[in-house]
Amino acid sequence: MKSGSSGLTTIQITGLFLGIFGLILPFLLPLGTLSFAGQIGLGIFLMAAIFWMFEPIPIYATSMLVIFLQILLLSAQGPMYMDTELPSAEPAEIREHTWQIPTSALKDGDTVLVITEPGKTEAVRVDVVERNGRHVIIYSEELSADQKIVEDTGHRLVNYQPNNYTDYLGTLANPIIILFLGGFMLAEASVKYNLDKNLTRYLLAPFGSKPRFIILGLMLVTAALSAFMSNTATAAMMVTVILPIIAQLEPGDRFKFGLALSIPIAANIGGITTPIGTPPNAIVIAALTDYGISISFTDWIIVAAPLVIIMLVFAWWLLLALFPPSGDRFKMDIKSKLDTKPKAIGLYVIFAATVLLWITENQHGIPSSMVAFLPVAALVTGRILNKNDIRNLPWDVLWLMAGGISLGIGMDKTGLAVWMISGLDWGAMGLITLILVFALVAVAMSNFLSNTVTATLLMPLVISLHTSGVMGEDFNLLVTGIVIAVACSLAMALPISTPPNAIAMSTGIIRTKDMARVGVVIGAVGVMLILAYAVFYWPLVTN
Amino acid sequence: MERSDIYILCIEDEQEVLDAVVRDLEKLEEQFPVETATSAEEAREVIHKLLDEGKKIGLILCDHILPGDNGVELLIELHKDERTHDSRKVLLTGQAGLDDTVRALNEARLHHYIPKPWTREELLEVAVKLLTDFVIEQEENILPYMSTLDAGKLSESIRSRRSISDE
Repeated sequence: MKSGSSGLTTIQITGLFLGIFGLILPFLLPLGTLSFAGQIGLGIFLMAAIFWMFEPIPIYATSMLVIFLQILLLSAQGPMYMDTELPSAEPAEIREHTWQIPTSALKDGDTVLVITEPGKTEAVRVDVVERNGRHVIIYSEELSADQKIVEDTGHRLVNYQPNNYTDYLGTLANPIIILFLGGFMLAEASVKYNLDKNLTRYLLAPFGSKPRFIILGLMLVTAALSAFMSNTATAAMMVTVILPIIAQLEPGDRFKFGLALSIPIAANIGGITTPIGTPPNAIVIAALTDYGISISFTDWIIVAAPLVIIMLVFAWWLLLALFPPSGDRFKMDIKSKLDTKPKAIGLYVIFAATVLLWITENQHGIPSSMVAFLPVAALVTGRILNKNDIRNLPWDVLWLMAGGISLGIGMDKTGLAVWMISGLDWGAMGLITLILVFALVAVAMSNFLSNTVTATLLMPLVISLHTSGVMGEDFNLLVTGIVIAVACSLAMALPISTPPNAIAMSTGIIRTKDMARVGVVIGAVGVMLILAYAVFYWPLVTN
Repeated sequence: MERSDIYILCIEDEQEVLDAVVRDLEKLEEQFPVETATSAEEAREVIHKLLDEGKKIGLILCDHILPGDNGVELLIELHKDERTHDSRKVLLTGQAGLDDTVRALNEARLHHYIPKPWTREELLEVAVKLLTDFVIEQEENILPYMSTLDAGKLSESIRSRRSISDE
């Protein structure tokens, strides 16, 4: 990519213009049944999707822009919808089943919209008896005198009840975001007091110095840490652990490829394990929660951990098969000394208590997002984290997730999500095919896009498959949501797939083709495993 | 390896010595272009030209005995100039007396002193260490430098400063 004079690459500039075009495109096309708000929603969706793909602005900036456009264009308080009411009229009964209505209330020459509840209308077929200028005489057996009908069927409030703008802004305080905030603060403190590093050394010690077990140890520890901390920070820390091992290898030794690949693979997979492991989990959980489907911290681990373990063992075997170890033993620097200052001890206690409360959510019933405020409050109260540490939190990730959740709310509320799935005959696909398709699409997309963005773009479709009922009674929203979350984290074929991949690649130790080869196999095996779990295991544990 | 916009500047009046310095830095040159100057005056010109083009000066290796202003004076001046304040500064010399060296330390915040004669390993090691610090301090995206500079230190900075987030 070549930088232009403005600092943006040609691809980014293309994306910038495409995105702006996407924002207005829905108003240039005949979109059939999509409401006016749906058109705005589609514009925002297209712009966000294009910006997230081409990144003319950072992905978190796109998320913030989404929220801004939603409060501006879709909320009840924005200029578009403030002080507006859906104009309604009462049909005037001329004789039995024959009504006089305003001409503007007749849609497509044979339909009137009966207001059933605020923001909802029902189309009723009528027969036109006579037209006289501003009024139409119609015949209908379904209308009754106490009903209100929409006076202007082209009005922007037809089939749309705008949300309060606080619904969009409030996504930043969504319980799942607060859960992540708790996790981020624990991670921040862990890095500050080197808990992650020291814990790594303790945990690696039992794996000894034999190459194959060193890799296994590295992978298990990486996965375990990234289940609670950022995948990226974990991968960066583990790179510092493997560099001294790689320095002991002969220059041409292929074992180093396996070592260097084991870190991003385990970090990516490890994030699946808990709700706070990686942002796509948050997008899925937030969307499910909106539909009254809650999944506890404990349940998530029960769902995800068995898959994580099998994937890790498979990846371990794959790396050893492709890059067999040469040497016999390696020197491991596993000297470790835990910080014993009072504040560090305070952190250990808070960390242990929080994690314990999280994983036992099913036993005590206190929601994990409430528990998450324990570390938030305790770490600052105990001055374990200070003002600068709080400023240093990855706020960009919180905004990225908030924007994703907000986009989902808008797509659902405007009827956009249902409209988007309406073009295909989903019912003909069958549930197993559907899961396979979603898993494949998610893995394929998130190889190129951010995992969070992939979940954000796919989750509204899953939700509307549920609400529209096209898949029938057997459609399991929870299981399909989990499929999306897991599949997004199993994409790791390219350096751009995930930040841990980018870090591992930039060390210069591995070649892109090795990463691609291993990543594609893991993705393919992952999709098969997801399918098996979705059919046999997840329905059992999520009831 | 993509060329970065971070330059290494070598200032030395003896052409043979200058050639030797540049040769020793060959491994880094692919990513960090090397510019040379034979006097303080020429160094200023080169620096202003580069800065005007939007480039950065990451590392300055400077001899002490130069025609016109000497090396220590030049380094002090560059330290005071905010555009070269953050550049890493090395005095590469056999002839700087104690007074000059102390001045360089106190007033130019000299980052390293390499006495002549030096070895290639020593020079490279110092250059890599100082450029790593410069990149961590100044660059938003440090990943492109991992394979040439100190990968362990750069990874550690990603860990502790969270310059890269999950996405």
